[in-house]
Amino acid sequence: MTGLPILEIKKISKSYGAVKAVNNVSLHVDRGEIAGLIGPNGSGKSTFFDCSTGLQKPDSGTVKLDGQDITGWSLNRIAREGRMLRSFQKTVVFKALDVEENLVIAGQMFTFPSLLSTFGIGRMSKQRISGLRDRARELIKMAGLWDVRHQPAGNLSGGQQKLIQFASMLMPEPKIILLDEPMAGINPKIIERVIETILYANKSLGVSFLVIEHNIDVVTSICQRVVVLDQGRKLVEGLPHDIVQDQRVREAYLGG
Amino acid sequence: MSLAKAAQQEHRRDLRIPLAAILVVVALAAPFIGSRYVTHSLIIALIFMLPAHGLNLLVGYTGLLSLAQAAFFGIGAYTAGLLAVNYGTPFYMNAAAAGLLAGACALPLGVPALRLRATSFVMCTLGFVIIGQAIAKNWISVTRGDMGLSAIPKPHFALGPLSFTVSGTTSFYYMALAIGALSTLAVWMIVRSPAGRNMIAIRENETLAESLGVPTWRYKLIVFIISAIFAGVGGSLYVHYLTVVSPLTFQMYYSTTMLIIVLGGGAGTISGVVFGSLLFVGLTEALRITPELRMVAYGLCLLVLVFWFKKGFAPVINRFWDTIGGTK
Amino acid sequence: MFSTIIEQIVNGIVTGSVYAIVAVGMTMIFGVLRAINFAHGEYYMLGTFGAWFAVDYLGLSYEASIIVGLLSTIVVAYVVGRLVMQRMVGAPAEAGVLATLGIALVLQNTVILVFGGGYKFFSGGYIEPLSVLGFSLAGQRILILVVCLLVFIGLELMVTYSRMGKSMRAVSQNVECCEVVGIDVPKVVLHTFILGAALAALSGVLTAPVNVSVYGGMGELITFKTLPIIIMGGLGNVRGTFFAAMILGIAESLVATYVGLQFRDTVGFATLILMLMWRPYGLFSTQARF
Repeated sequence: MTGLPILEIKKISKSYGAVKAVNNVSLHVDRGEIAGLIGPNGSGKSTFFDCSTGLQKPDSGTVKLDGQDITGWSLNRIAREGRMLRSFQKTVVFKALDVEENLVIAGQMFTFPSLLSTFGIGRMSKQRISGLRDRARELIKMAGLWDVRHQPAGNLSGGQQKLIQFASMLMPEPKIILLDEPMAGINPKIIERVIETILYANKSLGVSFLVIEHNIDVVTSICQRVVVLDQGRKLVEGLPHDIVQDQRVREAYLGG
Repeated sequence: MSLAKAAQQEHRRDLRIPLAAILVVVALAAPFIGSRYVTHSLIIALIFMLPAHGLNLLVGYTGLLSLAQAAFFGIGAYTAGLLAVNYGTPFYMNAAAAGLLAGACALPLGVPALRLRATSFVMCTLGFVIIGQAIAKNWISVTRGDMGLSAIPKPHFALGPLSFTVSGTTSFYYMALAIGALSTLAVWMIVRSPAGRNMIAIRENETLAESLGVPTWRYKLIVFIISAIFAGVGGSLYVHYLTVVSPLTFQMYYSTTMLIIVLGGGAGTISGVVFGSLLFVGLTEALRITPELRMVAYGLCLLVLVFWFKKGFAPVINRFWDTIGGTK
Repeated sequence: MFSTIIEQIVNGIVTGSVYAIVAVGMTMIFGVLRAINFAHGEYYMLGTFGAWFAVDYLGLSYEASIIVGLLSTIVVAYVVGRLVMQRMVGAPAEAGVLATLGIALVLQNTVILVFGGGYKFFSGGYIEPLSVLGFSLAGQRILILVVCLLVFIGLELMVTYSRMGKSMRAVSQNVECCEVVGIDVPKVVLHTFILGAALAALSGVLTAPVNVSVYGGMGELITFKTLPIIIMGGLGNVRGTFFAAMILGIAESLVATYVGLQFRDTVGFATLILMLMWRPYGLFSTQARF
């Protein structure tokens, strides 16, 4: 069981009209691994992500999570039943709600077993919510957001919002998290902090990661293995160190 | 309104108890304070509060703009009216049946409609009202067409040898007040539950909610059905109060009225809906403003609400509560 | 039997032309504003009332009353456009729905408050029947057909050749780009809106002699007819709107004759709901634009 990859994506293809955005791409993430996915703009990374997480339907190919076939599941079902969460580049937090509330919402669907049970406000339900609140506070502390926990998330800086997003995704004790450019547009100080958070989640909580990232330094410092996409195809796969040296990768990025 | 604020308010609830007590006393004594016409106006406000509560769950909490509320209001009114006229069933059964049938109709209507995006969804819900009116007009063997139903009996309760008919304005007021209070409590419970929090999450950002495991589509459908149930029960109350119902119950004017209550009072707040019903329906009724003038006023209200006063009266009410609470 | 069908189809095309002239303005306004104008039928009503007022109170001829109807509507549209429609640039779809619903309520009920809610009789127009290709058709109906064709040809020419028309098309394709390129978006919105309202009024004054009765609620009815048309035509699509209007006009005419008059006014929305379930993007467009 432990030998099996946590996430195994086989031969995903997706076209928009005549354009093949993703062409027969396979990829796996091992248990406890932090894998990276890089590629120049328009190489199909985001489409590949969307197809793997249920936001879009792939034309062909399969997605297996922890041995279970989840191809065709909706985004919410993959999150709820598969415990595979994903982030978005732009959509980060519920801006009007405060930090703690953001985290409580993130944990709710995993604490309440059925849709109907979410409508209760009895003692059981209250206990569960206060359990969630405790966990939320713990994670808020860890992310260094304690002082701003009652502020609307939209009032905080972009970097802080990213931290809230990470903390939110840790609420349901996920098996694997897919990050879509987590470092885009945040300052270097927070980048450190985000890296710390990712490593902490990986080491202490045993969460596996698949990360799309443009910042090569970040990729080499956290990823154990990197896959490079170019024009919808898998170009090369290997250790971060080797990838950076690879001639084909350089050409792809420089538009050679 | 953020939930933290709600939690803070709960913290100072003690300080507001005297005012709340006064309001309760006024509500209970209203028929003896005001004239019979004032009581009548309050009843109309209470009746419209029900569909407005339902619409608030949809618009205010889940973020779905719908014009279908008049359709479910009409379905409820006709269901209760037909049962009472044809079978002489008691009011509580008619009200329950009205709510259930309205909810049952919302299911097949909601499934396709909720797949549409904003504008098409609004249009589709408007279509429900128009088609509802056409059915009420043309299904003559059942609905009696344009003539509508009349001589619908006033609510009648019987418990063993005891029986009581809610015939007068005063007794009807108390019944409407009780149902209004119960529905407000029901909304409060829904909103305070984890489901309420998920609804807010959907309103704030549907994709994000979805990515956190919230089955957004199912929630929207459930809320759509709940809102229809509220409207259906409201319709049954309406028909038992006026004792007549016509195809004109299915009209845009009612949907607009409910929308004004919710947006004007403050979408996403319960007190706003209660206040909005009193102000936009109760007061206009009490002042005997003609429907045309009222609609001009509603129209201007909508414009003001959309461009300048986006949160309706909710901030005013909140500030008032805060002042009463002694914190400012 | 056969000639009745042909007759009903011809009648349907005339009705369709009436709808088409109203709907095309509505769909163009959607194009530049991304908002459905729920008040659009009210301009049809305003135009009709303006003309009725000119004939009945001022004793003017029908030809002059067309001018009065159009001018009065344009004045109202200018005020509404400056105060409300220009504010809707970039606003969310819900704001557009609510604001235009508000305008519809204000316009419709103000007219009822001023002129009373009862039905009024419109006299004037060319109601003498003319014989064309073996059909007997009122002159007014032929006029409507001709005007409808001229309006659509004119719009095509305007959008292709005139500066304003090109701007309208540009704005309906991409608002952000237009702002960067320096197109005055609020101005384009205002012009499109006034043009659309004037077309609705034109449709109203041309139809008045045929419909004869004039009343405050007539605008709402037209709005409910044109809403399904512009959605079926593919929002913002001028040619699609033309065909959708014709289809609805003919369908209504046939339903009224062979199913029952009382079902005529439901045809549009019933078709719309069925269509939305089957093709959520409209009949003439595969793109999701709303």
